[in-house]
Amino acid sequence: MKAFFRFGLAGLLAILGATGLWLWASRPDDREGNSAIAAFLSDPQPAGYARALTPGGLEFPRDFGSHDDFQTEWWYTTGNLVSPDGRPFGFQFTLFRRALAPPEADQPAAAADSWRTNQVYFAHFTISDIANERFYFFEKFSRGAAGLAGAQGAPFHIWIEDWQVIEQPDGSRRLSARADGVALDLTLRQTRPPVLHGENGLSVKGEAPGNASYYYSLVQQQTEGRVTIGGEAVAVSGRSWTDHEYSTSALDPGAVGWDWFSLQFEGGGEALMLFQIRREDGTIQEVSAGSWILPDGSVLSLAREDWQIDVFETWTSPTTGFTYPAGWRLRIPRIGLDLTGTPRMNNQELNVSTTYWEGAVRFTGTLDGQPITAEGYIEMTGYD
Amino acid sequence: MTGTTSNAPLWRTSLRRIARRPLQTVLFVIGVAIGVAMMVSIDLANRSATRAFELSTDAITGRATHRLVGGPGGLDQAFYIRLKREIGFEAAAPIVEGYVAIFALGDQPFRLVGVDPFAEPPFRSYFAETSGRLVDGGIAPLLTEPGAVVVLDSLAAQAGAAPGDSLNLDLAGASMPVTLVGLLAPADDTGRDALESIVFADISSAQEILGLRGRLSHIDLIATSEAELEPIREILPPGVRLETTAASSNAVRQMTAAFQLNLTALSLLALVVGMFLIYNTVTFSVVQRRPLFGILRCLGATGGQLFRLILGEAAVLALIGSLLGILLGILLGRSLVGLITRTINDFYFVVNVRDVTVDPGSLARGVLFGITAALLAALVPALEAWRTAPNAGLRRSALESKVTRLLPYLVLAWGLLSGLGVLLLRIEGGLGPAFAGLFAILIAFSLVTPPATVWLMRRVIPLVYRLFGAVGRMATRDIIRSLSRTSVAIAALMTAVSVIVGVSIMIGSFRGTVITWLNQSLQADIYVSPPTLTANRVEGELQPEVVADLLDWPGVVRAATARAVQVRAPEFGRDLRLIAVSGDVSNGERSYAWLPAGWTHADVWQALKAGEGLIISEPLVLKEKLTYPPPPVQLATDSGLREFPVLAVIYDYASDQGTAWIDVVRYQELWNDGEVSTVALFIDEGIDFEETAAQMKAHFQGRQDLIIQTNRTLRENSIAIFDRTFAITSALRLLAVIVAFIGVLSALMSLQLERTREFGVLRAAGMTVGQLWRLTAIETGLMGLVAGLLAVPTGYVLAWILIYVINVRSFGWTLQMHLEAGYFLQAIGVALTAALLAGIYPSIRLGRMVIATAIRSE
Repeated sequence: MKAFFRFGLAGLLAILGATGLWLWASRPDDREGNSAIAAFLSDPQPAGYARALTPGGLEFPRDFGSHDDFQTEWWYTTGNLVSPDGRPFGFQFTLFRRALAPPEADQPAAAADSWRTNQVYFAHFTISDIANERFYFFEKFSRGAAGLAGAQGAPFHIWIEDWQVIEQPDGSRRLSARADGVALDLTLRQTRPPVLHGENGLSVKGEAPGNASYYYSLVQQQTEGRVTIGGEAVAVSGRSWTDHEYSTSALDPGAVGWDWFSLQFEGGGEALMLFQIRREDGTIQEVSAGSWILPDGSVLSLAREDWQIDVFETWTSPTTGFTYPAGWRLRIPRIGLDLTGTPRMNNQELNVSTTYWEGAVRFTGTLDGQPITAEGYIEMTGYD
Repeated sequence: MTGTTSNAPLWRTSLRRIARRPLQTVLFVIGVAIGVAMMVSIDLANRSATRAFELSTDAITGRATHRLVGGPGGLDQAFYIRLKREIGFEAAAPIVEGYVAIFALGDQPFRLVGVDPFAEPPFRSYFAETSGRLVDGGIAPLLTEPGAVVVLDSLAAQAGAAPGDSLNLDLAGASMPVTLVGLLAPADDTGRDALESIVFADISSAQEILGLRGRLSHIDLIATSEAELEPIREILPPGVRLETTAASSNAVRQMTAAFQLNLTALSLLALVVGMFLIYNTVTFSVVQRRPLFGILRCLGATGGQLFRLILGEAAVLALIGSLLGILLGILLGRSLVGLITRTINDFYFVVNVRDVTVDPGSLARGVLFGITAALLAALVPALEAWRTAPNAGLRRSALESKVTRLLPYLVLAWGLLSGLGVLLLRIEGGLGPAFAGLFAILIAFSLVTPPATVWLMRRVIPLVYRLFGAVGRMATRDIIRSLSRTSVAIAALMTAVSVIVGVSIMIGSFRGTVITWLNQSLQADIYVSPPTLTANRVEGELQPEVVADLLDWPGVVRAATARAVQVRAPEFGRDLRLIAVSGDVSNGERSYAWLPAGWTHADVWQALKAGEGLIISEPLVLKEKLTYPPPPVQLATDSGLREFPVLAVIYDYASDQGTAWIDVVRYQELWNDGEVSTVALFIDEGIDFEETAAQMKAHFQGRQDLIIQTNRTLRENSIAIFDRTFAITSALRLLAVIVAFIGVLSALMSLQLERTREFGVLRAAGMTVGQLWRLTAIETGLMGLVAGLLAVPTGYVLAWILIYVINVRSFGWTLQMHLEAGYFLQAIGVALTAALLAGIYPSIRLGRMVIATAIRSE
């Protein structure tokens, strides 16, 4: 759960809204820094929206769809793929929803052909061509009306214009997106039920009550399909991870950045999610948490004191000059995990309406003394 | 001598002359100034209107290269959704637009432009590029609040409106509230000008306000290659067209080309009159200085030096006049631009011009024309001075006999120039040659003025003698004797007055034709339509329940509905006004420009009713150069292109772009549009329809979206619009009168003042002051009369050309020439009055002269 960044993006959108959306069109280089987003996040406007207050209550497939009474929502899929001849790829496909105004109780349902809506959708789509060290990223904005963008639970369908994830008759989900000769066309098969994070799906994000989200993941999804780069299509297969999270209020004041880890282990099929919220003074917020997901689908919640992460390498983006961690040692003594990992390639920085690093990683180490490897994605925001 | 002589003494003689005769110099300068002013003002006003149109078009078009457009009702937004979801065409933006009034922000119509802010960035980012921003508001209220609009900050500031204010928006009479949620603050002025008449809204609000649920006005596209458009072409539904943005804005610009060219030609006419004025003044200055030049030549000044002196004088004075003229032109342009904009709005498209744009090019052209005209006018007298032998220069009689010898050649020149003019007029289609022909004929008539004057004077001598005695005969002979000067003055006056006559006949004929046409074609008793922002086009729709109410109204025996829309006519490369009618409102009184052989009115309307084809208007035939019988017309229907046979051609003066009529049932089959724009009602003979109209008004009281007119008020309103359209022409005519007046004043005044010595001799010989006054009055009066009389045939010929050549080629309208004695009497009146008034000042001066001083040199 990449709450920080995602809250950040949603916040950025609101800031853009306040200053003029058109502004960001041919975006000048004075991009809003992430600290500005953090500042915004300390000033949430939750009045009129539903809040994530009580654990439980998630129901599927209903909750696969959108929750327009919450201010912010996203569906986040990342994955590590490989071609039959061993060429590795990473991908990210994210659809964000942000409400511009709380729903009104007596609001009549808008006609299907109406453009009137409170819901703004935007999406990011990336492909990491690891062998060639090329990173492709794209962004799209639209509105949740007139059929341009939307999200529904059953049958599952989330879309923004021609980018979409749609449920197939056999229950699998087909993800397709393309832009400028780069395309993804993947079929994702669920291998286990949704994993609820935090307390039965309620993931606490801040000290103040209600600063929380509903958050679940679909991990270890079998993935196959095609990656197209420059018109050349490559058959691929691998594993994907999907997050779905919705909330209204954001983080506590003082938070400046966010690291999110999602690792899928080879062999047994374990999975690990960790998020840590960084404060201005460099410390990590106590509400940072994680989930250790066992092959049978059971979840062990991890607290801040359960893990230790040491950064042994950094990378500075030639585009933005921001410096990001680029090598981690991750230890979770409680479950006997000791891993070392690096990005599959350094430049996986998205330079869109906000700037962040989100990329494919590979970790190796031991679990209970046995050698183990994992692939996954890490998201880092708030670095400069 | 060359190389050692200085020209300075020569120039000093010029300065001394100007100091001694300031009035003539002033009149010279005024002549140039007025001519230049008229040209500059028309040019500035035309350009400002064009520029305003281009700016607002560019503001809307942005960086779009192509555009998807639909039929009369726009296109289904579902196609846009397909474009985005199926093809994934990135650079596509939907636009919903219409014209509205927001009186709180100003009286002019505003273009309400509904955009999808998320699709906008590639298209219209001048907000971002200019570092302007949307201030004091934001995207959220724009998207979420119904009726939320954004306007230019300065526009809001001027109107005292601030974000959060609720404003009343008026759409075809229906009033609805909108909220100002933000202000646009572009950094540069070009952005500002473009945005002054635009109200932005989210596409959802625009659809709601304009009643275009599910419809788009068009879709903007950016494509760098044809290949990118291929996927769109593959799924293009029938009735949707893909065109380049350049083509669509050019088509609109072309509409006003003829109108603007006509105005320019009228302003040139003023310059021609101004040229006469200048020619006149320069000639006088030369004629008066003939003795001086004779002496100078005797002293060794070369003819070339004199030639340069005269042209130099003319150039300097013309420069001063031209500079004054451009100042005057800018002032005048400010008033004219309103009139021009009004006409463009009435007849062509909605455009807002806040102020004239002072284009340096227009000003430079004005100065260039002014100086060129002055030099051309001064050329003849300057050559005259050059070629005159030193001793001959001292003798007036030499000049006069020369002029007399010239008379037959002038008649010949008249014949040749007229022939040339006729040839130019016969060149098919061209408006430029037609105007050249018009000018050639006008100049030809002015050349024939001196021989005509002599001929007329010789005829009137006995009559004048009988009426006024010896003084009368003296006056007449004086005119012939001083032909070198009198004829120029008469020609100038004649030219100016003939322009007035010609333009008056043209406008009068036009008006008469329109009135006849209105009377014939508007036979229904009551007309109901929504109000419009433009006088000449009904763009709104009537509510269906209103239509139903009207059709069921007691006393209504017959009704006809009409729906006016624009549809694409691909062969013509533009949109055509199509009116879907359920019947004829003329009761068979309409006159036809063409009918199939053996057909009657009833046959035509029966065929129309059966959906067999179209009736088209005469301007369409002329504008598109169709032949008789007209070939079928191709129109883009919702189900693709279709050909429609032409059933008849009717006279129509509502549009110079051409109009087509179709049966309403056929229209609804082919274009999915059931709206009604106008209802025409025939009331039972036994019922007073004025009374019925009053009842209807009472019934629909409070409904701002209806205008109920009887055929009387409709005709009156139509004529009012007509008169408003010609306000600009009338303004130009008035200016021509002023030029003529000043011209004749200056010419006659100079003429009389120059004769100081002659009058001194007459006084010394015993002539009383009273006789002197009479002599002057008879002389100027005769000159005015001659000018007026000659202006009658000239004006008639001009009118003929304007009506049967210029008008037909510009607008495609056949007008019936209506002649009224008033036009000619007015011409003679203007000429006489101007001439007599011009005699007053010299008479006063001459009356006060000391005889001894006047004849001292003798």
